[in-house]
Amino acid sequence: MGATVRDVLGRWAIVLVFALLYGVAVLLSDAFLEPVYVGNILRQAAPVGIAAIGTTLVMILGAVDLSIGAIISFSAVFCAVMMQGEAGNIGIAVAATLVVAAAFGAINGALNLASPGSSFILTLGSALALYGLTQLYSGGTARGIVSPGFREFFNHRLGDVLPVLALAMLAIAAVMEIVLRTTRFGRQIYLIGSNREAARLSGLPVAAVTFACYVVSGLFAGLGGIAVLARSGVSSTFVGRGFEFDALAAIVLGGTVFRGGRGTVVGTVAGTLVLFIAFNLVNILGFNYNLQLVLKGTIIIVASAGYAWLGRDR
Amino acid sequence: MAFDAVAAARSARNAGIYALLVAAVVLAALFVPSFATPTNVGNVVTQSAALGLVAIGQTFVIAAGMIDLSVGQLLGLSVVLTCALSEGRGELLVPVALAMVALGAVVGSVHSWLVNWLRIEPLILTFGSLSILQGVIFTMTDRSVGRAPEALRWIANERVLGFPVAGVLLVVFGVVAHALLRNTRFGLRLLATGDDGESARRAGVDVARVRWGAFVLSAIGATAGGLLVAGRLGTGYPNAGQGFELDAIVAAVLGGTSLAGGRASIVGTIGAVLLLGVIANVLNLLEVSAFVQTLAKGLIVVGAILLTRGAPVVAARAPGAVAAG
Amino acid sequence: MRNEPSRRTFVGGSLALALGGTSTLLTPLAARAQTTDRAAQKKQMAETVDTAKFKKAGPYTIGVAAGYMSNSWVVFCLQHIRWEASQHKDVKDVIVTDASFNPGKQVADIEDLISKNVSLIIYWPVDEKAIQPALEKAVAKGIPTINAGGGFTYSNGTVSNAFIDQYALGEMVAQHFAADLGGKGKVFAMLPIAGTTAAVDQLAALKDVLAKHKGIELLSAEHGDWNRAKAKQITENLLQRYPKIDGVYSPAGQMSMGVVEAFEEAGRAKNLVMSPGDEYNGWMKWVVKNKKGGAVTFPTRAGQEATKLGLRILAGQPVPRGLVIPSQYIAPAEAAKYAEMDKPDDWWASNLPANFKPKA
Repeated sequence: MGATVRDVLGRWAIVLVFALLYGVAVLLSDAFLEPVYVGNILRQAAPVGIAAIGTTLVMILGAVDLSIGAIISFSAVFCAVMMQGEAGNIGIAVAATLVVAAAFGAINGALNLASPGSSFILTLGSALALYGLTQLYSGGTARGIVSPGFREFFNHRLGDVLPVLALAMLAIAAVMEIVLRTTRFGRQIYLIGSNREAARLSGLPVAAVTFACYVVSGLFAGLGGIAVLARSGVSSTFVGRGFEFDALAAIVLGGTVFRGGRGTVVGTVAGTLVLFIAFNLVNILGFNYNLQLVLKGTIIIVASAGYAWLGRDR
Repeated sequence: MAFDAVAAARSARNAGIYALLVAAVVLAALFVPSFATPTNVGNVVTQSAALGLVAIGQTFVIAAGMIDLSVGQLLGLSVVLTCALSEGRGELLVPVALAMVALGAVVGSVHSWLVNWLRIEPLILTFGSLSILQGVIFTMTDRSVGRAPEALRWIANERVLGFPVAGVLLVVFGVVAHALLRNTRFGLRLLATGDDGESARRAGVDVARVRWGAFVLSAIGATAGGLLVAGRLGTGYPNAGQGFELDAIVAAVLGGTSLAGGRASIVGTIGAVLLLGVIANVLNLLEVSAFVQTLAKGLIVVGAILLTRGAPVVAARAPGAVAAG
Repeated sequence: MRNEPSRRTFVGGSLALALGGTSTLLTPLAARAQTTDRAAQKKQMAETVDTAKFKKAGPYTIGVAAGYMSNSWVVFCLQHIRWEASQHKDVKDVIVTDASFNPGKQVADIEDLISKNVSLIIYWPVDEKAIQPALEKAVAKGIPTINAGGGFTYSNGTVSNAFIDQYALGEMVAQHFAADLGGKGKVFAMLPIAGTTAAVDQLAALKDVLAKHKGIELLSAEHGDWNRAKAKQITENLLQRYPKIDGVYSPAGQMSMGVVEAFEEAGRAKNLVMSPGDEYNGWMKWVVKNKKGGAVTFPTRAGQEATKLGLRILAGQPVPRGLVIPSQYIAPAEAAKYAEMDKPDDWWASNLPANFKPKA
């Protein structure tokens, strides 16, 4: 009996937390009832949310990708440089950025295959190397000019409320959730994450799936970088620094346990929203901006402990 | 028989890292102008001492099969507190130093409590506490505060008979840590726990207590390193600890400590710390751009892991994953 | 387990201590009112430095200990150094180290430059206090040190300064701002990294000017850390907190861009009064398009002046302790002369010849 209740709680915990937090937020400030403000929160959350969706796959697999902050930073700068301020370049700039970002994901994947089980430090190392590369590429300044119309398009509010960028995040999330739930690839990810050895012995293509997940994570980090460019332009070569913390917090909050085998994209997106509502709450109540860092860390720890407790005795 | 083989393998690995160190120093002396002066070599040791302390602490945690990512920010907190509390007053040096040790003990205990009783993976836990510590530091202050006592600045920067005092301190710490790891029951139990937690428990090892010791040592390594950095900077800069955790882990791994746990070498860690210091120094003297240095550092991290990876099959479990219990 | 109760007590006690400690630590350390004594500083600036002990013959090697290079202003400043160096036959090399915002590394960088026997060290600090001992070592060895950038340092480790007077800059900005506001309105301030000379002096100047304009109310002073995205996010939240904001004091153009974007997206930009920013190219483009705001310059040629100062010192000529590079006001109507529409936002107007400009 207890196990079933815990089961249900585990699955719906994030929704409960979201509802609870939103309720508290509304009580503390009626800004949260204004559609424009809520639309703003969604847009703020979009870069992290999109990147986190990709990384969710890696974490269901039982590994981590801590290099997404670096990939986001590089992608934002690279995309702006490719655009060169010409509207006609948008297509090729975005495409080139995604290819390069996916390539970094591939490098991460290859490294992980060469030395499985050390993904956290491998991706920390590749992140450092990529930060160096970004600086070399840009010469220190955020060179590059965003094409006209690009930012306007993504910041435009549909129905005066929902920014296109936010809609993009929701659409991407829906697609990836479907992929996870219905395709064989998705099922394989869950199986490998639950028990890597058993999966390998059953003949599942563990190496290929792992590699693919890292490529996806890199690709989505690239999307996240483009999203950052859309949302606030680029004025430095490390716009994405720290995003890996936000993403990890969102993913863990959304129910993807660190050990692997469980998790959903929907949970990650919900976790992202919870995170950004919390951040905005901190700001709007006039608290020190740095309390957000404390909040992030606490969420990571408490959410991990909570889900671990809910999932015990499985 | 088997024991001898293990010890022999360890000696071989230690010899390896020191051979690399000697080779690097010789090459640098031959090809890098300005490297081979007593001042510069002393500088390298002084510049590396703080990392050495942090890396020694990290070695214990990794040996136990875990990881501690919070040491960088903990070091930063120690720097800020040391300078803010002492405000340059020499008589406060000892109390403040003791307070930093206590801080390490408290933080380490909290970490081990959360790992032991709430079953949180050390990787995720210390990733979260890293953020919390950073938030605490920046909420306390967003700018440099306080002043380090003169005596601390002397320890961190000066030399006695040509030897950097900080280097002597590092050696002393290293000797004590080495004895702790190799010559005490605690050390034995630590390595057994890191090697295979389940077997260790069944053999009667109090795994929870071992983890406690490991985390406390790691945290004290960080706060002690913070004392040195405070002495080096003279002022409590909030972001002083950034990056120390990665460097410490890399140094431990390069020095022969396995990320999977169960195998460690304090001697190797110190050698690796010095090697990293020599590399950074040489890159500066060769006027390599800082951007390239960052890239190089990342490549070193990745390279260190790839070159020293443990048995792939066993390492299928993410390091730090706490087995049921 | 013999030691179980005592261990549990210790661990439990530690946890309680940690939670208690964390909550007390979460209160800011006694906020020290940090102000600059302007009168004293003026006297210090005017002091003449006896440069006899630094005099040496060429060829010279210039060492640049950069606190950070990942910022377009310092990139341009460095290019000015290189440009000036290229015009002197007796300067044979410029060596640059980058501490990447790590004060410990900047200490090590300065030590390494000393090891390399540079003739002169030009620097901008991550943290002034942290590097003073290292700079003093340089001075003791006869290597003059020059602070280039946005703050005046009067100490044994810094021989001279080529700098922008942040108070004068802030005052000019605030005066034009108050005039544009018509002397009344609710405003907030967007400042650089807290604790930097720029942040401290700009806020002080604003407050002094506002003291003469009682109709203007300062709602809040925020720190955007020269980061456009951060400035935007802070502004979005301020827009929610305060239903009426008439103007924003933001001397750093980079941050001004984030600020105006937030206002534009909230639909509250129409009657917004922006203070002059600086000559950051992205901001200049905005000024040209919207015909308001203007700029008070934060000249990147501080690097050039620092180099000239250094070479004079090496020649044994007397120099002042502090050389101010004056800021000038650019009215919105003249912005078009300074804005480079085909260059990136992260760019600065300058007189650099084409081959010394950073890559675009």
